[in-house]
Amino acid sequence: MTRLLLAVLSLPCVYWTQGLESRPQLEAAGIKQLCVAPDRAAAWRAAGFSVSPIPDAELASREALPAPGVTARAGLASPTRAPWIVANGWRFTRAPGARYVYDVPAGKAALAAAEAFAYGADAILKIDPSDLKDLGTMLAFLEALPAADLPSLADLAVVDDGSAVTGEVMNLLARRNLLFDAVKTPSPRYRINVAVGTRDYPVEDAADPSAFALKIRRQLTDEQRTLRVYGSEVVLCRLTGDPSRIRLHLLNYGGRDIEGLRIRLRGAYKEDGAYVAGAGRLPLQDFAVADGATEFSLPKIGTYAVVDLRR
Amino acid sequence: MPGPYPGRVVSVRSDRCVDVSTGAANDDVVREMIARGMRTLTGADTTAAAWRRFFDPSDVVGIKVNCGGYPYVVSAYEIVAEVVRQLTSAGVPLSQIYLYERFQNQLDEVNYAPHLPDGVRIVAAEHANRNVDNSGYDPATYLEADFFGEDDTRSNMMRLVSERLTKIINIPNVKDHGATGVTGCLKNIAYGSFSNVARTHQRGKSHTYSAVGTLAAMEPLRSRTVLQIMDGLRGVWHGGPFARTKRYVFYPRRILFGTDPVAIDRLLLDVIDEKRRAEGAISIWDRSSASLKVDDSRARDADPNVNIIIREPGHVEYASTLGLGVYDLARMTVQDVTV
Repeated sequence: MTRLLLAVLSLPCVYWTQGLESRPQLEAAGIKQLCVAPDRAAAWRAAGFSVSPIPDAELASREALPAPGVTARAGLASPTRAPWIVANGWRFTRAPGARYVYDVPAGKAALAAAEAFAYGADAILKIDPSDLKDLGTMLAFLEALPAADLPSLADLAVVDDGSAVTGEVMNLLARRNLLFDAVKTPSPRYRINVAVGTRDYPVEDAADPSAFALKIRRQLTDEQRTLRVYGSEVVLCRLTGDPSRIRLHLLNYGGRDIEGLRIRLRGAYKEDGAYVAGAGRLPLQDFAVADGATEFSLPKIGTYAVVDLRR
Repeated sequence: MPGPYPGRVVSVRSDRCVDVSTGAANDDVVREMIARGMRTLTGADTTAAAWRRFFDPSDVVGIKVNCGGYPYVVSAYEIVAEVVRQLTSAGVPLSQIYLYERFQNQLDEVNYAPHLPDGVRIVAAEHANRNVDNSGYDPATYLEADFFGEDDTRSNMMRLVSERLTKIINIPNVKDHGATGVTGCLKNIAYGSFSNVARTHQRGKSHTYSAVGTLAAMEPLRSRTVLQIMDGLRGVWHGGPFARTKRYVFYPRRILFGTDPVAIDRLLLDVIDEKRRAEGAISIWDRSSASLKVDDSRARDADPNVNIIIREPGHVEYASTLGLGVYDLARMTVQDVTV
């Protein structure tokens, strides 16, 4: 495990285009912070909201993100039956300092907010107003989490040449919960440095990014992976930590509650709190430390959960 | 497994057990078939004594049914009800009898409750086959294997099996299976007691050759599965494990008894293959690419000469190499009984 850049976790901001008449809905959802067009900022401030004015030019300059979730990709061959997941964690890992904007359809706001929060991304959320309640609940949950600004942990590095091919490799690594760091040049901190276009990682191999990610998984070996997830193929994780503790972020892209998700982490840890959006703090189940690893089951996860462990 | 009677199978047949024009079973005949089968298997003088060879009042007994062939070929109500009746006669309290399957929605479809006395527990590990309910599985008892590069490489045993039951009665059906060739004792107890098993067969290829036996051999499932009663009142010779249409349903009209799942499944291979041959269909042993239409279940359902996966009927013989039973017909004893 290697520690990466410190990520500052902050709440994503809701970009709101409706007028002041929508104030009751915002208040009912518990949303107190807004991003609005500059000419509306004063009015919203006067209404008691914390406001960040966002000019159109800034909004347009932000990297647009696809709506997170699972999607059917009919006719596309895949080596497994695993559903196709649209997730943005790999983008945040690749460019942690970039600024992002989501424009998500109904039903996706809470997941988008959790995803951005989990990676400490600077993200603005354009949402469907019908999502206000769910989003407000998620934001309140995120805000109430114990602070833990911890660096990311990774098992391998991807040398980022900025290409779309390398981006897709990162996407598929994240899809498999293979924890990676994006680096500019090969890093001696990692046993595996993936540089697409080199002899070990020919660009033609990367044309099938799923197989490419599987090849890297085989090189790393499952035994050496810091993180394993059992019981679902639609929960993607970000792991952060320092020598004294770790925080595991779990994002469920499947849209259905999952019970009894099993997690395995290399190393010996003690439980320090599990927080499940929509359910609050829950005890971990079947906690076990053996063979150099810690395992536990999360009783349930809806959209997002955080597990804190200490050495 | 293989229990006290390795290589021994009692096959009880009755032309009166099922009305083939309606598919309805005859309770009384089924009851007599079970009584004769159990007495013949054990050599006991009475039916009650035969059941007491396996069960006592302290046991917590699981009955592993098969609901996958709903509506035409599932573990028959008549057989399940008679098994429950005999267990209670042996002194097992109703509250210590569990009927189980992996998926609640399948149990709901079949709906055994009206056929059973109050008190029998009918339980499943998951609501449906959606890979979201893991709480019903034991996180400490699993097979870890990477078949196709899937991310979730574990198949966990049901908690009911690992933590609650002391004995299990396995009641599979006589069924064809698109990935394993047949689904009998081994497949029913193995794939019906573990999570995340569909991952072993996809895109034309099946790893069931080794997976079925490996799962069946895992403890405590192996030692707790003490009795095999194969329901051959009805069967499906193609399109299995499903039986959504009557087109491939047939009526072997027999029940097989034993403690050795390999021996019974060895006979099942021939039952299904002979029926397929009689119907002009390709053998379950066919591995030709000409017969293979990967993932085209519609073509498979329409044409018994289509496979969607290369079947692995060799899983039965493989299971014998794990010590689960006798595969060699020459070393088996099959006793036929007619009612």
